[in-house]
Amino acid sequence: MKNSASEYRLEMTGISKSFGVVSVLKNVNLKVKSGEIHALLGENGAGKSTLIKILSGVHQKDAGRVVLNGEEITPKNTHEGQVLGINVVYQELSLVNDLSVAENIYLHKLGANKTWMNWKGVMNDAQELLDSLDFKIDASAKVKNLSIVQKQVVEIAKAISEDTKVLVLDEPTTVFDPKDVKKLFQILFKLRDQGVSIIYISHHLDEIFKIADTVTVLRDGVDTGSMPIAETDKDGVIHLMIGRELNELYPKRDIKIGEVPIFEVKDLTAKETLVHDVSFDVKPGEVLGIAGLGGSGRTETAKLIFGADKKKSGTLLLEGKEIKTNSPVDAAGYKIGFVSEDRKEEGVFLPLSIRRNISITSFDSISSKLGFINVDNEYKKVLNLIKKLNIKAPNSEVDVKNLSGGNQQKVALAKWLSIDSKVIFIDEPTRGVDVGAKIEIYNLINEVAKKGVGVVVISSDMPEIMGISDRILVMHKGTFYGELQKEQFSEENILRYSIGEPLKTI
Amino acid sequence: MALTIKEQLSSPGGILKFLVKYNTIFIFILLVIFSALISDVFFTSVNLSNLLKQVSGIGIISIGMLIVILTGGIDLSVGSMVALLAVTFAILVNIFALPLAILMTIIIGFGLGSISGYLVAYQKMAPFVATLALMTIARGLSFIYSKGSPVTFTTVGGKFMSDFANNSTLRIPNIAIVFFIIVICAMVMLRYNVFGRLVIAIGSNEEASRLSGIKVNKYKFLVYAISGALAATAAIIVASRTNLGSPNMGMAWELDAIAAVVIGGASLNGGKGTAINTLMGVLILGLIGNILNLLNVPSYPQQVVKGAIIIFAVLLQRFDSK
Ligand SMILES: Nc1ncnc2c1ncn2[C@@H]1O[C@H](COP(=O)(O)OP(=O)(O)OP(=O)(O)O)[C@@H](O)[C@H]1O
Ligand SMILES: [Mg+2]
Repeated sequence: MKNSASEYRLEMTGISKSFGVVSVLKNVNLKVKSGEIHALLGENGAGKSTLIKILSGVHQKDAGRVVLNGEEITPKNTHEGQVLGINVVYQELSLVNDLSVAENIYLHKLGANKTWMNWKGVMNDAQELLDSLDFKIDASAKVKNLSIVQKQVVEIAKAISEDTKVLVLDEPTTVFDPKDVKKLFQILFKLRDQGVSIIYISHHLDEIFKIADTVTVLRDGVDTGSMPIAETDKDGVIHLMIGRELNELYPKRDIKIGEVPIFEVKDLTAKETLVHDVSFDVKPGEVLGIAGLGGSGRTETAKLIFGADKKKSGTLLLEGKEIKTNSPVDAAGYKIGFVSEDRKEEGVFLPLSIRRNISITSFDSISSKLGFINVDNEYKKVLNLIKKLNIKAPNSEVDVKNLSGGNQQKVALAKWLSIDSKVIFIDEPTRGVDVGAKIEIYNLINEVAKKGVGVVVISSDMPEIMGISDRILVMHKGTFYGELQKEQFSEENILRYSIGEPLKTI
Repeated sequence: MALTIKEQLSSPGGILKFLVKYNTIFIFILLVIFSALISDVFFTSVNLSNLLKQVSGIGIISIGMLIVILTGGIDLSVGSMVALLAVTFAILVNIFALPLAILMTIIIGFGLGSISGYLVAYQKMAPFVATLALMTIARGLSFIYSKGSPVTFTTVGGKFMSDFANNSTLRIPNIAIVFFIIVICAMVMLRYNVFGRLVIAIGSNEEASRLSGIKVNKYKFLVYAISGALAATAAIIVASRTNLGSPNMGMAWELDAIAAVVIGGASLNGGKGTAINTLMGVLILGLIGNILNLLNVPSYPQQVVKGAIIIFAVLLQRFDSK
């Protein structure tokens, strides 16, 4: 029953889906042409990832029709989806850490019809594919040794093959710096021109307007509109997403920044990573931004200070006194916090409830000397944070694995921002968080700073880091290349420092 | 997803889901009904109290096993530890006053467990390997110290213990009471104490635990030490029941303990499992043995049935995670 009359390659119509009694998608439509980039937008928890997972065979729909190339399809699992030419880069990384990059890329093709693998050939093919993507990754490296950016690239490589008809990318750029984003766009444009239908999910609206041809918006499981990108603008899209206008994204800050640094780092050099000769200080109440390209050593610097990586030399001073952080336990003892960029592996406890996730750092304040937890206080604290950060969940007992990506991020943040720290390092604070919720997170960061905490924010999101920082340090090849004061903030200046060039003198 | 029972029952396919979710309790009840129907001896107080006495020793080490498994580890040494510690207790109770002998045995158990704990937590040895080594060592030592034959209780202290172990209070066997108290303590510790929260957190994501400032090594060390102390408690109980400590005690008990924990729905990857469900697992295993004994089924077919039940229980749990 070919229906070649349709102008769409992919038509999802009347899709509904519930998990238990929670209805997540209600009568949703999504229509994608071949050779177009179709943006799928919506708040955290709107149902974007769920819709995609129905398309690819992870979840089964309760109602509706999915038509690909004029034929109805009902993939029962992701393998069936792939055979149909539907390839997805999921929001959460799903690589096998102990295998090589090449093995991961060809994992789903293994054992398809061959009993023996030609590993040399696979290695060469994988290397060729990676090189064509223009990211420098060694196909024979073990995945566990890659940075999170590189892992994301491997996920993308995995999804691209000759017979991809529909390529879905669920928030692929959350860990990318602007240079990486540009490279990805080049790849996507090329694929689009070859006729691939691309569905692109992102909370970075700037990106959407750079690459999308069409946009569909979801709100609370209902599609609120679908149109060519030229017929709308940022405000229009936001209105469809949240049903109201959004005021100032970056809240005004009137915090008195202390004179004396609360935390100082002198000549810090790592034993095992590229970080070397790092010196800086942060003052109470200050939000210090750390910018730089992916792989420049920002995350590694934070981990080094937090005691998660080994130090070779250097001094840390907390409130003027020298401290030693040989492990995260030490750091946490000194009331230094660290929110990892890798929420799935290092941030949240997926099988545990929201409550158990959030209270893990705050037992000091909610339990007795003998370690018995005051459950009433625990609930009070957790429910308060759920409300404050607008975490979308039926109640506090839901397992974090059942939350949408952005809401998981909020849980990871809540864990650290809710306790009394002296210094806190936040790596990619709004990774995967929607525009509305970003404001809540920025407010919370300011609230924390107001208490006299030194806040250090690492971010690849340029507008974000300029919007929330008092001062920005730019990293290049494992050390700070330059410092920018508020009046010097500009994308150009950050980029210049991050590639190791001086600022233009006027 | 935490829904009320009513909501669960009223959602589509609700009843089935409900049964799957509480499958251990469900299997347990089914087995009780089945046993009662099939044998008129089953519901006699003699049989029930025998059943409870039989499971108490394995039950206590299963609780230790549960705590270790929650961190993502495993403790293969507990069966041999029961033998070594039973012999130890028999020797000690013949020398020292009873309370001192009990205390010393438990401390030695804790100490032996600490060796596994140290190897796993601080030497990063695989739990399977470290505790396998300890299993062999403990069994060997128990034969050495007992010179290969059982050590009989000879003092008043020993007499007191064997009376205690063979009597009941309010028709519940004393040793079952000890077991139940340990289950309740474990339940409270896992639910309402920081210790339990952290143990479960470590099992569900060790790296995230480390980066949350949790003393991961300390807790990984502690769980093996506690498992050792519980093995000592079980050893005292089983030795007292028979009035002697024998190096042949606790043969393959580690496997029954693992089975009980797994039937109770715990995940061997860590992070998932409760004391109540482990209790159910212990009772289910005990019940199967009991009913097959009542039916005069010989012990080899019994093993086959046990294995089949384990597979069935774990398959049921599979539906739950869907
Ligand atoms: N397996 C599941 N069980 C129960 N609820 C789920 C499950 N998966 C998703 N949900 C719920 O469905 C809703 C939609 O989730 P989904 O992941 O599709 O959101 P999203 O639009 O991708 O959000 P984000 O931008 O944060 O990634 C959320 O409220 C989430 O809690
Ligand atoms: Mg999502």
